Amino acid sequence: MLAKRAWLWLLAGVLTSACGNDNARGGGGETDGGSDGSDGDSGSDEDGSSGDGDSFEFDPAPAVLPRLTALQYRNSLEALLGEGLPVVAVEPDTNPYLFFSIGATSTTLSEFGVQMYEEAAESVSAAVFEDETRRVDLVGCTPSAPGDACVEAFIASFGRRAFRRPLSGVEQARWLGAATDLADGDPWLGVQMAVAGMLQSPYFLYRVELGEPDPDDASRLRYTSFDMASRMSFLLWNTTPDDALLDAAEAGELLDDEGLVAHAERLVEDPRARGAAQDFFAQYFDLGRLDGVTRDPSVYPLFSDTLPEAMRNEAMLLVDDFVFRRDADIRGLYSTRTTFVNDGLAALYGLEAPGATSVAFVPVELPEDGPRAGMLTFSAFLTMNAHETENSPTLRGKYVRERVLCQPVPPPPDDVDTSIPADTGEGKTLRERLEAHRENPECAACHAFIDPPGFLFENFDPVGSYRTLDNGYPIDASGDLDGEALADARGLADLLGQDSRVGQCIVTQLFRHSTGRLEEASELAALVDLDAQFEARGYRFRELLTMLVAHPSFRTVGVAQ
Amino acid sequence: MKFIGGKRLNRRTLLRGAAAGGLVSLALPPLEAMFGSRGALAKADGLPPMFGLFYWANGMPWHAGHGALQGEGAHPDLWTPSQVGPDYTPTELLAPLAPYSPSVATGLEPHTDIPPDPPGQGDGHMRGFMVATTGDRIRPRGFDHPSHTLTALRPTMDQYVAKHDAYYGSAIPRFRSLQLGVSTARFHDYGHWNAISYNGPDSLNLPVSDPAQLYNLLFDVPDDASTLERRANLLDAVIEDAADLRAKLGAADKVRLDAHLAHLDEIQRRLELAAAPCDAPLFPAQSEDLHVKTGIMADMLAVALSCDLTRVFSFMLTSPATTHVFSNLGVPDGMHKTCHDGEWERVRAITQYQMEAFAILLDRLSTTLDPTGASLLDNGLVFGTSEYGEGWQHGTKELPALLVGGACGAVNRGVHVREPDGNFSKVHVTTLRALGIDTDSYGFNGGETTEHLTGILA
Repeated sequence: MLAKRAWLWLLAGVLTSACGNDNARGGGGETDGGSDGSDGDSGSDEDGSSGDGDSFEFDPAPAVLPRLTALQYRNSLEALLGEGLPVVAVEPDTNPYLFFSIGATSTTLSEFGVQMYEEAAESVSAAVFEDETRRVDLVGCTPSAPGDACVEAFIASFGRRAFRRPLSGVEQARWLGAATDLADGDPWLGVQMAVAGMLQSPYFLYRVELGEPDPDDASRLRYTSFDMASRMSFLLWNTTPDDALLDAAEAGELLDDEGLVAHAERLVEDPRARGAAQDFFAQYFDLGRLDGVTRDPSVYPLFSDTLPEAMRNEAMLLVDDFVFRRDADIRGLYSTRTTFVNDGLAALYGLEAPGATSVAFVPVELPEDGPRAGMLTFSAFLTMNAHETENSPTLRGKYVRERVLCQPVPPPPDDVDTSIPADTGEGKTLRERLEAHRENPECAACHAFIDPPGFLFENFDPVGSYRTLDNGYPIDASGDLDGEALADARGLADLLGQDSRVGQCIVTQLFRHSTGRLEEASELAALVDLDAQFEARGYRFRELLTMLVAHPSFRTVGVAQ
Repeated sequence: MKFIGGKRLNRRTLLRGAAAGGLVSLALPPLEAMFGSRGALAKADGLPPMFGLFYWANGMPWHAGHGALQGEGAHPDLWTPSQVGPDYTPTELLAPLAPYSPSVATGLEPHTDIPPDPPGQGDGHMRGFMVATTGDRIRPRGFDHPSHTLTALRPTMDQYVAKHDAYYGSAIPRFRSLQLGVSTARFHDYGHWNAISYNGPDSLNLPVSDPAQLYNLLFDVPDDASTLERRANLLDAVIEDAADLRAKLGAADKVRLDAHLAHLDEIQRRLELAAAPCDAPLFPAQSEDLHVKTGIMADMLAVALSCDLTRVFSFMLTSPATTHVFSNLGVPDGMHKTCHDGEWERVRAITQYQMEAFAILLDRLSTTLDPTGASLLDNGLVFGTSEYGEGWQHGTKELPALLVGGACGAVNRGVHVREPDGNFSKVHVTTLRALGIDTDSYGFNGGETTEHLTGILA
């Protein structure tokens, strides 16, 4: 398997080498690593065994320090303090390489961001402690004096939940001290201040998962049992661990396969896992780009301001259907003939959808002889990869390469004319104008890689409506993928639905999302192992989640240089 | 540890002692007494001129000065005045700003070098934007396509000034700086592109672009002193937690946590300050119209400056490579694509509209008086710039630079300086020297210069 994956990446490198480096494996060394692997056959087992993961060698990267994403922060506040908290503003996430988690490990919080945390902590703690029922529920006892035994016990239990591990003696003294010194004679006020303070502590705002010596391998660290509780909870639930998981961590149950798989399965069964999976897929699909979409209603009467949200919902319902309702081969997202529409999408797709309203989505079967099959023929992809007034086969093709197949596309060379030749009234389709553009050899190398899969979608306009004419001329929607001729988007759907590269790409993206960083070249073998296990389990995403949690690449950490 | 222990406790104790001694309990109107008069006396008092960074997207309509290809359409240069020196005749695109006597530098361009690896660092948006705002290249690492992560190597001018020891000295106002934005459209969702103010790599100051949020930040300050003091004291424990954590981190994360610690220090300082002596304006309206919204944000900014809540701001009208759709001007596509499509007339109309928006901000600054009775603009300096010369080919020649305001007499107003192929960082040197910041040289990685624009610096 190592050889196979390396070969695929080498192929991608060959295809793009005319226009730049292939850095799909993060960092410059992956091509070398790949060829070493294929030459050396470094002990990978050919049958793609799924199970113990130490039949391959890899070196984990050093620890990173993710700050909670905005959603993780809000979810954690609710987990700690209960629902119905005041709405608080926090610094928006950034998503380099698609993922908020990567922004969370690389971006530095601004001063205003720290101020917003301070104000949020003040606001939510005041809301809880002004409500007598609520504060007693939270604290579990009634303090009679600042810093008394009730307060002391609460600091310990709340501290464990907020910091995702027991407080050290120094920390217990520090926060008990705050609850005492800032009480101003009112023990409740003291507890409120301690809560507000712990919610501003970097131990709450950042996921401090630094590992400990690994008894099996002195060259690396392993994540502690509490680190693992945090890692799996934020991956599978997008929120802080619950008490059961912290208890398991405290009992040391999250250091072996059995305990990790058992708890991962429990978490995946919980409704919170559905939201977390949707959050991952929304980022992997890059659906944030739907937020700014505008279209002129006089040109696109089927478009409305609420349609982008419906497009997003359609994608999320599909994910939920594939992952949680049917536990099906996730690659089917790209070939499915079942989808979910509200009234606006039904009109856009020209489908009957009884029961659909603006807010009610219903499952529909796409007609066998219709033009659509798979996510890439649904309006989210078609719209966000088009311009306001015309299609962009380049953006659509780039999405297929980069997002679906994880093949990087390098930037255009500096100082090259990147404008598309204007419509000179000679009666050309956009495709014909783009093909003329490719006569420039500087552009041709990359655009021959990007555009042919993008041309497959020319039958769909910038909001995803089906069309047969462009600029009044018949559309040629044929294209190809890596030399395989395809008649239209349905041909691509059939191909992608069974393409192992689609599965590998999802492994790569989930690895990035879950670790908050790009994979290192030294981790390639671990990804290859995950590929094999994912394939062996029928590309079911739920299986991938539990398999990743127990995988050595998710449980170990390199020693910082 | 730097952030705890004797030094900071001493500072806080000192502050409280001062408060007890009545130093900050001055009755209104205290401002003239506190600040003295500006203008000629400002420097003697150690109070620096106000400084603002104004940013608009996508440069200007292209012409032959941008390159041979750009010249093929024979489009006129609507920006560069035909005369140099004082009292130039404003061109079509400078006309909206004429009432505020802008000094303008033309012909300048980035002089930073362009490393070949990773490819793409010559991209006009990123190179021009970084040179205009920092005098340096973009950070090469993390530039990677497709992420297109735009990030600075060093602070942008607003932050460089706001954090320079020679600027505020010990008289730090409530906010070292404010970051405001108007359009919320951005080039794409990832890799930043939604801010023009940086502290350094991957450390952005996102603009506040919601008028209500700006209002709350500036004017909705709780006035219960004991609550504020408790919140300030609470941060001592937070800072101790952070200091413990710091010791366990690798180098890169230490840098991030140090920034967090510095911010905590700043927030604590702000909580310790009494509520600002400032007459809050009415709660702001909301508007999606960029001109109306510019006025709303500028109104609040002008009050904040006149009350000395801050002396430094950045004002991002539109973000780099903006996708803002100027449908009010009959432009159907986002601006970035409109540039790419070579829609010159539309780019002209949008640029004029953006200059009119700049004029709205300058109007508020010129009609609002500071405590000495001079206008904010007379005693301040606004540096207006964009990301490249023009957007069709992303050409960085003729990168625009405007210096508007008198900077307490340090800047000659209404002057046109022209230096074809000149180093853009001369604008930075001029700006910094006008603000009283000694600057031997500015510009980096090939962009270094020791020269200011002689006609503009008084």
